[in-house]
Amino acid sequence: MLLPGRFVSCLSLFLLIAAAGGHSKGMPSSAQDNQPGMFPVRSDPVVAMDTPTCVIPFTRAGNLILIQAKADTSVGNFVLDTGAPGLVLNMTYFRNYPTRYTEGEEGGITGAVAGQIGTMVDQLSMGPVHYYHCEADRINLGHIESIKGVKILGLLGVSLFKRFEMVIDYEKNIITLHLIENKEAASYKGEQLRDTSAYHEFPIDVVDQKIIVHTEMAGKKLLFLVDFGAESNVLDSRLPNKIFENVTITSRVQVAGSGTTKIAAMYGNLKNMKMGNLDLGVMPVLITNLERMCYSYNHCLDGMLGFDFLSMHKIGFNFVKHKMYIWK
Amino acid sequence: MEIKGGGRLWKILPGCMLLLLVFFFTGLAGRAQAPVHTYSVRDGQEYISLGVNIKKGTLDSFMKQYNLASIGLQQFFRTRRADSLQRLGWRHKRTGDLYIISRPLLSSGNIGNPAGQIILTEKHPTIQERFPAVNNGVLYGYNRFRHKYPFAIKDGVVTFFLKGNTRASHVQLAGSFNDWSTGSLAMSLTDSGWIANVRLSPGKYWYKFIADGEWMVDDDNWLSENDGLGNTNSVFYVTNTLFQLTGFTHAGKAFLSGSFNEWRPDELSMVRTGAGWGLSLYLAEGTHTYRFVVDGEWMADPANPNRLPNEYGEFNSVIRLGKPYVFELAGYTGARKVVLSGSFNNWRNDELFMRKTKSGWTLPYTLGPGNYEYRYLVDGKWVIDPKNPLVISDGNDKDGMKSSYLIIDPNYTFRLKGHSDAKRVILSGDFDNWSSNTLAMKREGNVWVFPVHLSIGKHLYKFIVDGEWITDPDNGLWEQNEKGTDNSVIWVDK
Repeated sequence: MLLPGRFVSCLSLFLLIAAAGGHSKGMPSSAQDNQPGMFPVRSDPVVAMDTPTCVIPFTRAGNLILIQAKADTSVGNFVLDTGAPGLVLNMTYFRNYPTRYTEGEEGGITGAVAGQIGTMVDQLSMGPVHYYHCEADRINLGHIESIKGVKILGLLGVSLFKRFEMVIDYEKNIITLHLIENKEAASYKGEQLRDTSAYHEFPIDVVDQKIIVHTEMAGKKLLFLVDFGAESNVLDSRLPNKIFENVTITSRVQVAGSGTTKIAAMYGNLKNMKMGNLDLGVMPVLITNLERMCYSYNHCLDGMLGFDFLSMHKIGFNFVKHKMYIWK
Repeated sequence: MEIKGGGRLWKILPGCMLLLLVFFFTGLAGRAQAPVHTYSVRDGQEYISLGVNIKKGTLDSFMKQYNLASIGLQQFFRTRRADSLQRLGWRHKRTGDLYIISRPLLSSGNIGNPAGQIILTEKHPTIQERFPAVNNGVLYGYNRFRHKYPFAIKDGVVTFFLKGNTRASHVQLAGSFNDWSTGSLAMSLTDSGWIANVRLSPGKYWYKFIADGEWMVDDDNWLSENDGLGNTNSVFYVTNTLFQLTGFTHAGKAFLSGSFNEWRPDELSMVRTGAGWGLSLYLAEGTHTYRFVVDGEWMADPANPNRLPNEYGEFNSVIRLGKPYVFELAGYTGARKVVLSGSFNNWRNDELFMRKTKSGWTLPYTLGPGNYEYRYLVDGKWVIDPKNPLVISDGNDKDGMKSSYLIIDPNYTFRLKGHSDAKRVILSGDFDNWSSNTLAMKREGNVWVFPVHLSIGKHLYKFIVDGEWITDPDNGLWEQNEKGTDNSVIWVDK
């Protein structure tokens, strides 16, 4: 049964970025929305839950988290992918949906998916969580499902969770979700977060539908994308040499470039990086050129935190208060 | 200003002196050490630093350690010419006793696209690391439980049993048999645990219990498998073959060994029964050869009259599951010996000796559903099946020969409507290694058809109409391939 009182009509993306701007130094967030040719202002879906808090079991395809969800009449696997801006559908299975908008190549770094064709899903449900009138990008996910050997209907990206507290437990293969109502926005903390000595708390930015954490290394502040769709951690090869004095290269590797091309990248082990006061220990990283990872007004990401980091601990987020929790 | 500047000078002077000392001692140490060989990142570039006189063995180890075999370092050090390095975009310079070889790290065009980011950061799992589908390539299997018997199987219905956990309020069963659905198989509480009945055909299945939302492997099942990276599931085989060896009750150990387990001698331990030894196994459809190993002594199954010769001049027992296919080679009546060899028996040419008839040679051989390649060895000379129009030539044919292509139990018929004027339509896909001339479709009324066997999972295919590659116009599922064209997509369910 749906609880009418728990319907939350979400704010527009415009307002989201305006709010997120407070966490991102010097970013004129409202101006960014109005950049011609970047991405259209989209409305957020209406979210409702059968119960205020729910536990959603997940399975895995390699290191990707698969959640069973239903998009209108199609039921199947969706990948939890915080590297995606919102709901992304596999073109193969949603080709016949009407096109609502299209994005140019330049849209890719601003939040929308480059080269995608947008559409609308009337209802998206994962367990007791329901979204209504959900705008979605459509891209070809065929290569990923061929590699993983499982049918993948789409990706569940950041904007779907921005009203939630979310705790991901890789050990138990469950995600706990709580839809935060406006009246509890300032104070809500789930049961698992009551014992504040059990976890570390860090601020995050949610900008351009990306989750960004601040780290520090060799005296330099670094911005990392939190990406559950990334199997490896990634470090930008263009960072100053003093950063790489803390990286031991282990191997050269070929990774996917544009189209069918392969480009050289490196695997290494990074040490001496801190998040707040927490030393992150030795982290395996893929080192590649992230010049295309820049977003709004010359803000660039220095790396990505993927499965190799995120799966080491129970990890939680409050996307309303912009907090990340890492269990000890 | 001057006072300020002077103050700063005094502040940095001790630091400069310290730096000079560091350089001095580093220089001394550098001379005393062996030539440097490092691989690092500097100024956004791959940065290789190698001693001019590095020994070949050290260079080889260095290249192996960092996977640098493809960049032409060996040739550079052999010839002292940098042509090959330069062709690959590397710059080099000599600084004292070191070569510095560098190349900018390029940006992947995939960033900014969520699918591209997943692909960029993926760890390239092997096929074995992927979560396998039921019966897909699984030849055999057996169950090993502790504290409880293997799940009862009656009339094809398996009773899954979770021992204990009686305080849980609800328990679900999830597995490969229900696509890991988390809410479709509720278990029932009994006095000793939870049970759920599932109708399953013989084969391999993966499962887990979910007690009050918490995933658990079956602690009483010895068999569990990792899906590649950390996700462990319990394994259960619905068996279809009981091996029995009567007698030998005084023996200490008895094992079953066969073509299905690559003849590993001590893997399949048989269990004592009242009359001797036994082992219940899942075997895939097809022809399997086997022997028993009793206290180290190999023997054919004394109760099984079906045998085939082995390489030791003895015999292996044979078990056949499924329908036999009769291989027939017309002619060659003057030949002394004809041997059948194919992908189904690992291309062995000393096992399947054909029987001579008045008009040629024949051999019945049981094969499970699938697509196979085969040839005949006629008095030492390979020939393909002259009566089989399906010939595969695009595969990895080491002998430079073609093979005949056989499809057993097709489970899917590809159809292409129209194209009535076409002279030749070929079906091509991942199931025949994208061969462009093997699977010639037949015209039935207004439709070109071809039946094939497709394994469980995803398949990609196209039609070739008079040389032109096209996707299936009646299949709404297609995806772009790496060449920028499209492939049709089909998923085969269990």
